[in-house]
Amino acid sequence: MGFLDKMIKQSRLKSPWIVHFDCGSCNGCDIEVLACLTPIYDVERFGVVNAGNPKHADVLLVTGTVNHRNRHVLKQIYDQMPSPKAVVSIGACNLSGGVFKDTYNVLNGAYNIIPVDVFVPGCPPKPEAIIDGVVEALAVLKAKMGMGPMPEATFMPGDEDGTPAGARDEQAPVAEGDKSQQNAG
Amino acid sequence: MLSILSAIGGLILSPLVGGLLTGVDRRVTARLQSRLGPPLLQPFYDVLKLFGKEAYVTNAWLVFSAYMTLISSALALFIFFMGGDLLLLFFVLTVGAVFQVVGALCVPSPYSNIGAQRELLLMLAYEPILILVFVGFAMCTGSFSIEAVFAQDQPLLLKMPLLFLALGYALTIKLRKSPFDISASHHGHQELVKGVQTEYSGPFLGIIEVAHWLDLILILGLCAMFWHTSVIGMATLVVASLFTEILIDNVTARLTWQWMVQKRSLLLGMGLALVNLLWLYVA
Amino acid sequence: MNTLVFCCVALPFIVALVLYFTQLDRTRKLLVPAAVAVMALAAVIMGSNGAFRLEADSFCGIPLDSLFSLLDLLLLLYILGLGWKLGSRTVMGMTALQLVGLLYLKFVLADGAAPITAFAPDGLSLIMVIIISVVGGLITIYGLGYMDIHEEHLHLRVSRKPRFFAIIFCFLGAMNGLVLSNNLSWMFFFWEVTTLCSYLLISHDQTQEANANAYRALWMNVLGGLAFVSAMLFVQKSLGTLSTEIVLQKMTAMDVKSTAMLLPFAFFCLAAFTKSAQVPFESWLCGAMVAPTPVSALLHSATMVKAGTYLLLRMAPAFADTTMSTIVALFGAFTFVGTCILAVSQSNAKKILAYSTIANLGLIIACVGINTAASMMAATTIIIYHSVSKGLLFMCVGAIEQRIGSRDIEDMRGLYSKMPRTAIITAIGIFTMMLPPFGMLIGKWMAIEAIARATQAMTPIIFFIALGSAFTVLFWARWAGILVSSANLHERPAHGNPKATVMFALRSLCGLAIVFSFFSPMVLKTFVEPSVAGVYARLGLKGEGFIPGASLTSGAGYFWIYLLFILLGLGAWVAWKVARKVPNGAHTQPYFSGLAQEQAGQIGFKGPMNAFEPVRLSNFYLSQYFGEGTITRAIDIISTAFLIVLVGGLL
Repeated sequence: MGFLDKMIKQSRLKSPWIVHFDCGSCNGCDIEVLACLTPIYDVERFGVVNAGNPKHADVLLVTGTVNHRNRHVLKQIYDQMPSPKAVVSIGACNLSGGVFKDTYNVLNGAYNIIPVDVFVPGCPPKPEAIIDGVVEALAVLKAKMGMGPMPEATFMPGDEDGTPAGARDEQAPVAEGDKSQQNAG
Repeated sequence: MLSILSAIGGLILSPLVGGLLTGVDRRVTARLQSRLGPPLLQPFYDVLKLFGKEAYVTNAWLVFSAYMTLISSALALFIFFMGGDLLLLFFVLTVGAVFQVVGALCVPSPYSNIGAQRELLLMLAYEPILILVFVGFAMCTGSFSIEAVFAQDQPLLLKMPLLFLALGYALTIKLRKSPFDISASHHGHQELVKGVQTEYSGPFLGIIEVAHWLDLILILGLCAMFWHTSVIGMATLVVASLFTEILIDNVTARLTWQWMVQKRSLLLGMGLALVNLLWLYVA
Repeated sequence: MNTLVFCCVALPFIVALVLYFTQLDRTRKLLVPAAVAVMALAAVIMGSNGAFRLEADSFCGIPLDSLFSLLDLLLLLYILGLGWKLGSRTVMGMTALQLVGLLYLKFVLADGAAPITAFAPDGLSLIMVIIISVVGGLITIYGLGYMDIHEEHLHLRVSRKPRFFAIIFCFLGAMNGLVLSNNLSWMFFFWEVTTLCSYLLISHDQTQEANANAYRALWMNVLGGLAFVSAMLFVQKSLGTLSTEIVLQKMTAMDVKSTAMLLPFAFFCLAAFTKSAQVPFESWLCGAMVAPTPVSALLHSATMVKAGTYLLLRMAPAFADTTMSTIVALFGAFTFVGTCILAVSQSNAKKILAYSTIANLGLIIACVGINTAASMMAATTIIIYHSVSKGLLFMCVGAIEQRIGSRDIEDMRGLYSKMPRTAIITAIGIFTMMLPPFGMLIGKWMAIEAIARATQAMTPIIFFIALGSAFTVLFWARWAGILVSSANLHERPAHGNPKATVMFALRSLCGLAIVFSFFSPMVLKTFVEPSVAGVYARLGLKGEGFIPGASLTSGAGYFWIYLLFILLGLGAWVAWKVARKVPNGAHTQPYFSGLAQEQAGQIGFKGPMNAFEPVRLSNFYLSQYFGEGTITRAIDIISTAFLIVLVGGLL
């Protein structure tokens, strides 16, 4: 079954279905994500289809600020995706909390909740950057399948230490205390 | 013996042709939307990828239903290639459709349940039309068997134009195209997440997709039978039907089930079928 | 042959008498299966011998003709008394009219008539005897276990089971007698016995609702009885005989059938319509669902309501090629589509089954009305397989109701985790009703083929059938889906402990349904085809529409059915094996937009204020479009118009 196996592995790279979850953003990143699906950028060329259902998706595009309320949702959506899967974290808020970093309810970055493969910085990132991120996620998937080298992270000067990208291979720090009941009443 | 072998051969080729046609569908849709669109082999990549996914299951009955859907679609196509009885073909198709609904209903999820209910309403809309089309066939050829169609020397389209239009309604519904895609729209479009297919994932979604391709080949085969006298005629009809479906898909919006059942599909489709049957009856 | 007929017709009455006085449960549980076994065996042996004629002038020295006349009168007097007790002038009036008619018939018209062959069953009668004895027998055995629990639930101190089983056996004997009889007045006697049995059994629980519904069943069926008597009067007057055989011979020998000749058959149609609960008489059958489930299974789906269609099927050659036949066909098709639509809006399982029964009876009547050899074959096939499947489904619903305390299909969600075997048997029952390769669908296939070949009014009939058929898929498919759904995920199904008789009956009938369907080509070739061909040969009719050796009963037809059965069966087996192999670790929760939660095994989602919301699901009943309140009135009016045209057109 080696031939079939190879065909399946190749197909995974040619048909990444996405599910897009907005944790709680200003929707700026979401508009840019959806712009990718429009005729001008046309990601369907790469086989990308917005499945909208984690059970059908391979790549999770996360935007928005992760906080104590929506972390459970994010986790569950990630868990309900069958493997192999990849996660792309889009926008400043999702990478590290953005302008809301360290506020009372915000968990700084989605990488604290789920393992993230690709970080796409920007506020909002351009559709080209997002497409670039998805393509990078495919390269990560390829590497995970043992068909290629793991892509190198591209750092900006002064970013090497303390960035989520640098911490990708280490254990992701877990947020302490579950503050989701704080405003539950 | 030869007919069985050729039918089996046809059955093996059908997923390939079906997938290719689906790829053409997506490409043409894209071009109509002023964009490039995926490569022609995209549906194969999709299905292969799905087969390689981990199997997550909410209820084991879902697995049973997915396989039954594929088996009955294959069986219906087999009957078609063997030149068997049209009514039997119709009833075997029903098996697949019913099991897809049963699989969706067996999961306690609101999306798949409402999707299943809507799928049942869709079946309500296209089944009477299909039966009437087959009765039309019987009236023209004197028998329900497909072999009898090939014994005619004139294309059936001349005698049954309105029934062909009615078949178009059934085709739109079966292909899950606007305006009749309230249950589970095709590829990227969503309706209640993915409607009846929401809880099918990974390999089981792949199986449903292959069953869908087989259904596509079957319905196009039925369309082709309206001009059985020449291969060019058949090809023209098939290409024209497919293109019209894609066009309609892109210019219309989804209708609610009331519109579909009351006004558009059911009554109009049946009305067309009825007029044609009466005409055949009188003539 | 004498013994066999005795076993099927007279023995049940004797057993009924014995059972009436049997108080001990244990004795009853020995006697009933024994009697059922004897009856079933006799029926099968009789059936395998083929058509026969039996002259029976006297029974134990009493001339049978006079015996039956006496019994007829006694029965009618009893019903008159019932009407008096219920204070119903309608019932009293109609019964009195029947008495007068019967007396007139006996002493004025039929005085000195030639003796009539007692029993002359052909393939149709024989297959019906087999169904009544075998299916009816299994349902009676089921009743043993069912009634135990039933009376437990009702906290009855004095058991009413002796009465119950006595009446059931009377009924079985009467049904057998009905289908075997050649003499119309004997048939009438058995007909009225079934009316009486139905009344007594519907009102078995003696609640107000039961009594009210029993009364409705009584007056509608007595109306049918009145129509039957009028038909007999006309037949005796115009044809001079009450023998079914001779009536058919004379009618089919006529080139042109005058309206006067056809009038009795219109009355027979009316009698059949009331017995088979066609619209506008469907309310008695829907109301009869208050009876204990064995009653619903036996009387109101598998056998008694088939008596009406049996009568019509028997009489069909007499009114072939007439406008009246076309009207009957249209009427049947209209009933089919009307009741299918009504069934969609129901969530009460027994009502769904009731409407579905009426719909299938309408389909049979539509086939009868088409009146070609092909459609008669279709009608017979549907009668056979419908009895088996519907009896099975009713029994399942009864067992389910006793366990979960409800007959609403919404409460049957997740039944697979509570009653796995029953849930699977019910699902199989539903699939035998609507999917290939099972017999019911073969019957429907033959019906559509026959209708498409008919000459008169084919288009509206096929329109109704196509539409109705789509509606049936709707309500069956969603019920089947609900049965196997699970609200409690990952739970291994727990086996309850059902009564042995109940499970035995369910399993046997389920197995019978499947096996019988597999051998449908053989069943068709042995019983249905010879029966229809025999009728046409005996009466010298042109077999118009009959394509001997084509369609189903040819080699090609067999090939397809067996092939389909094997392929689909294989496919189902493979699918089942794969589904079983799904590892427990692969289970996941349904998609709830990321908010899925489980609490105490119940699936739900995290709602407002972080509270757990259990999932609540329901079907689309669409009652504002398809509901009883909305369309019953319209259906009743249109169908009454049909009946007026049918009878009035001939007057």
